[in-house]
Amino acid sequence: MKLEDRLALLNYKIDRTYAHITVKPDICETCPDHFCTFSCPAKCYTLIDGKLNFKYEDCVECGTCVVACAHGSVSWTNSKGAHGVKYKYG
Amino acid sequence: MSEFDAIVVGGGPAGSSAAMRLASAGHNVLLVEKADPPGSKNVSGGVLWGNDLEAVIPDWQKTAPVERYVKAKGVGFLTKDSNIGLEFRSSLFDKNRAGHMVLRAKLDQWLVKKAKDMGAMVASGITVDRVAFDKGKAIGVEQDGDLITSDCVILAEGANPRVAIDSGLREPLNDKDVAIGVKEVIKLSEKTVNERFNLRDKEGFAGEYVLGFLPDQVEAGGFLYTNKETISAGVVISMKHLRENDRTYSFDIIEQFLEHPAIAPLVDGGSVEEYSAHMVQEGGIERVPKLFGNGYMIAGDAAGFSFSNGLVLQGMNYAIASGIAAADTLIEAKKGNGVSEESLAGYRKRLLDSYVLKDLYNFRGIDEVTWGKLPHRAIPNALEHIMKGLFIEQGVPKKHLYQLMTEALGESGIRTSDAVLEGYRMLRRM
Repeated sequence: MKLEDRLALLNYKIDRTYAHITVKPDICETCPDHFCTFSCPAKCYTLIDGKLNFKYEDCVECGTCVVACAHGSVSWTNSKGAHGVKYKYG
Repeated sequence: MSEFDAIVVGGGPAGSSAAMRLASAGHNVLLVEKADPPGSKNVSGGVLWGNDLEAVIPDWQKTAPVERYVKAKGVGFLTKDSNIGLEFRSSLFDKNRAGHMVLRAKLDQWLVKKAKDMGAMVASGITVDRVAFDKGKAIGVEQDGDLITSDCVILAEGANPRVAIDSGLREPLNDKDVAIGVKEVIKLSEKTVNERFNLRDKEGFAGEYVLGFLPDQVEAGGFLYTNKETISAGVVISMKHLRENDRTYSFDIIEQFLEHPAIAPLVDGGSVEEYSAHMVQEGGIERVPKLFGNGYMIAGDAAGFSFSNGLVLQGMNYAIASGIAAADTLIEAKKGNGVSEESLAGYRKRLLDSYVLKDLYNFRGIDEVTWGKLPHRAIPNALEHIMKGLFIEQGVPKKHLYQLMTEALGESGIRTSDAVLEGYRMLRRM
């Protein structure tokens, strides 16, 4: 099953005003490994024409990326106001 | 004068247990949970081991939303073609229900409700930013610029302890602290689950696997737990080894596990109901932070309390036990001279007297033997070689088991002397 289809099963309450994760594009630009693109289980980090693209909307709040990024680009905060992923099973 | 005797951050098993214990002892406790409904951001593999909940909910085995109990425990080494496994299926489990399959969104919501019923005030959908300190003492929590005061803060925020880190109470996590857990809940039917896993009624199967077939450096374990009419299936991936590989996607590894010839028939025809992921704490005792200070304690995954020796994977029991220990410490402190760093030191002592810290100390360095080429490549390949020699009849003269084992060692890719040493170290530590 494609990841996109798996993610489509999830319920989110998307926070349009606050991104709980942010990245620093200048750091990502010179990143030698882009390990975030391999480690993030929700494919929030992708390379488009060699440039890192990040979207927080699909984030499942696992916390992997902040550990995975060894270059200090990722800032992680908890989602606010009960926004973000809502699991039925967990 | 504080608004609360205690603020508990996090409505998982650790936080709810602490809140239940405190509330039922008559304390004024606020349980803050960022998800709404509580439990809806919580994930775990799915077996709650032990009976620690009994201390706060005596009849939990009858009343909690548990899916099944562990009737059979399996351990398997997967190569590309084979599963070489061992199963412990026993009626001993009927008398002593050692483990229960749970789904956390359901269980944790129930636990929070129990805490509320016992008198805790629950604030869900509220995100705590950090612990507030005044003159070195924790005086409450900050939430969106507001201060909520308490005599004591119990941090039970789980495997990604942002509040503890942002409050300077725990170092940022690194590759040694965590693995990546990825899971799917797959719906079959109660009848199909029973037939495929040879189960009846409330009986369940809990299987853990070494994924010896993964590409290059990638190392991961797999799990398969039967719920009532679904299966929780997933992988726990070593962050360190995935990083060394740096070309395999974490979300592909779970699919490779589910497509394995020994696993695919078990989940065949099921519909994926949910995909989830969460970090898994596994830093061991060396990465456990300072557990208490003036006015605060850290419990559960936030404190790094989880256990894995490759054969079992546990965390919720440590969470509950530590949550209760934190509550009991606070109850005692309040009866005595009040909350101070000195009075909360009893928390560490309670954990040292219980299996929580005893296990972590006794299994120091276990991660060095549960990850690595020996368990993840050499043993699966060697076992497959032996099984092939024993059971795949080829019309040629048979070999002695000893000969097969020697050959298997030769084929394992690890020098015999290293394999013996490593194997010995592994057995000692496990």
